[in-house]
Amino acid sequence: MSALSVPFSFNRLALIASNTFLEAVRQKLFNFLLLLAVGLVASAQFFRDFNFGSSELKFIADFGFGALIFFGSALTITATAQLFFSEIENRTALTLLAKPIWRAEFVFGKFLGVFSVIGVFCALTIGLMMALLWHREGQLMAANPEAFEAGRIMRYGDLFIVGVLQWLKFGVLSAIVLLIASFSNTNLYTVVTGFFALVICHLQYLARDSWSNVDSLVLRSVVRLLSFVFPNFQLFNLSDEIGQGAGLDPMLAGRVALYALGYITVIGGLAVYSFRNREI
Amino acid sequence: MNTSIPAISIKGLTKDFAVTLRGVKLRAVDDLSLQVEKGQVFGLLGPNGSGKSTTIKIILGLLGATVGEVKVFGVPSHQVESRRNVGYLPEAPYFYRYLSGYELVRFYARVCGVPKAQLKARVNDVVDWVGLSQAANRRVGTYSKGMLQRIGLAQALVHDPKLIVLDEPTAGVDPVGSAEMCELILKLKRQGKTVLITSHLLAQIEDVCDRVAILDHGKLMVEGSLLELVGQRDRQALIVDPLPAAEIEALREWLTSRGHVLNAIEQPRARLDQLFLSKISRTGHLGGNPGVGSNVVPSSSVPKSSASAPSSAPKA
Repeated sequence: MSALSVPFSFNRLALIASNTFLEAVRQKLFNFLLLLAVGLVASAQFFRDFNFGSSELKFIADFGFGALIFFGSALTITATAQLFFSEIENRTALTLLAKPIWRAEFVFGKFLGVFSVIGVFCALTIGLMMALLWHREGQLMAANPEAFEAGRIMRYGDLFIVGVLQWLKFGVLSAIVLLIASFSNTNLYTVVTGFFALVICHLQYLARDSWSNVDSLVLRSVVRLLSFVFPNFQLFNLSDEIGQGAGLDPMLAGRVALYALGYITVIGGLAVYSFRNREI
Repeated sequence: MNTSIPAISIKGLTKDFAVTLRGVKLRAVDDLSLQVEKGQVFGLLGPNGSGKSTTIKIILGLLGATVGEVKVFGVPSHQVESRRNVGYLPEAPYFYRYLSGYELVRFYARVCGVPKAQLKARVNDVVDWVGLSQAANRRVGTYSKGMLQRIGLAQALVHDPKLIVLDEPTAGVDPVGSAEMCELILKLKRQGKTVLITSHLLAQIEDVCDRVAILDHGKLMVEGSLLELVGQRDRQALIVDPLPAAEIEALREWLTSRGHVLNAIEQPRARLDQLFLSKISRTGHLGGNPGVGSNVVPSSSVPKSSASAPSSAPKA
C-alpha cells in the first residue's frame, strides 16, 4: 500500500484555512480589525482642518499606509502565532492530525487562513482610505478647481496595487512567523522572534548595501548570505511612487509580487519540513 | 482488506524523549509488543506515566517510534494512509470552542472525506447516535465534560472508521456519563468495530474489554483476555437464599464428605456504580448539564433504527 494513497488535498487545505479564518472572526480578531478601520475613518475628521490642498491627499495616503503597515505587521505576527499555537496548546491539533491529513495541508491551511484574515484587514483599511481620499479630493476640487484642471490627481488603481503588495509582504512575514512557530515551544517566543525578523527584514537593505564595503571575505559572505536569507521589505515601500510622475510602474509591481510569492513558497516549504517531524 | 491482518500490530516499540540538551533521555515505552485483533475491545491499562498515551500517539502517527514497528491494518503508522480507518477521541478533549457541535462534526467529516451527498445525513446520524441532537447547535465552548466526550465520540465515528481509539474516555465524567460511554462502546463492539481504550477506571474496563494489557514504566507487564487474567478457574460461587447457621454447617459437612472445601461465605453486594445509576434519573443528567440534559436523547432510548452507528458512508 503506497503512502500516496491519501493524496495531498486542496479541499482539506481550504477547510483548515476557512476554519482558521472562522476562528479569527469568532474570537474577536475581526472586531479588532473593524475597530482599527473605524478609527481610521474617525481620524479623517482631523485632516479637514488642515486644508493643505493637493499635498494633503498625499499626506492622507501616507498616513493610511503608515497605519496599514504598523497595525498590519502587528496583526500578522500576533495572529499567525496565536492561530497556530491555539491548535497546539488547546490540543485541537491532536484530533486534527490524527485524521488522514498531511502536515503540509495543516501548515499551508493555517497560512492561508491567516493570509485571508490579513487580506480582509488590508481590504478594509485600503478601501476606507480610498473612500476618504475620494471624498476629500472631491471637496478640494470644489474649493480649488484650478488645481485640478486635469481632473483627479490621485491614482486609485496604484493605491490598490500598493495595498495588494503590502498584503503580500504580510504574507511573507506570516510565513516567517509560521516557520518560527513550527519549531518553537511557546507563543511568546514566536511573537518576539517574529518582531525581530520584521526589524531585520526592514533593515536588510543596509546589509545588502554594506557587504561590498566589508574587507573580510568571511564576514562579507555571511552578510551577503543573510541579505538573501531575509527578504528585503523595503522593496514593498512603493507608496512614494503614487501621485508622482507616471505613477507606479506595473512591471516593478509585478516583480515585487513575484519576489513575495517566491519567499512565501520557500519559507512555507521550510515550515512544512520543520513541522513534518514535530511531535504533537 | 486481508482478514488475517490485525487492527494494530506493535513490534519491539521503544520511544525515548530527550529531556536535556546533554542528550539524557526518558524512555516512555520500552520494547513493547502487542497485537489487537479486529473486532476486539482492547484495554490499555497502567498508572500515570506508564506509556499508554505515548503508545496511542505513536499508533496515530502523532509521534515517531525511536525503535520498532507499529502498523494499523497493516500500514505503518507514520503513513497518512494508516489513519484512514481510525477514529480518535483524545483524553480530556478540547475542540474548537467557537464552532457549534454540528459544525464541529461536519468539519471533521469533511476533513475525513465524507462525500458531500452523505455529509448532512451522516453528521445528523452520529450526533443523534451520541445523544446530542438537541444541543448540536450550541457552541462547543458551552458544553459540559460529558457532552464534550460525546461530541468527541461523534467526530471520531463520523467517517465510519474500523478502529476507534479512546484515550481516557471517561476522565472527569460523572458515573452516569461514564456508564453511557460504556454502553456506546459496547454498541460499537456489536457492530464489529475494533476499540482500543485506556482508562483508570478498572471496573469500567472490566465491563467492556475482551483483552487488556497492563503497562508500567513503559514495559508490558501482562496481556491477555479478562478470563485468563482475573478469572479463578479453580473456584466457583453459588448464590443462594439466606441459610440458617445450622444448614450452613450441614452444607460444609456434606461438601467435606465429598472431598470439597467451603472456602468462604459472603453476602453478595451490588456494585456502587450500579446503585448510583439506579437512584439517579438518567434522563435529567445526560451531558451532566441540568437544563440541557433534559432535552438530550439518552443513548439507552435511541430508537432502534439509529441504535447502531450508521455505517452507510463509504470509507474516506
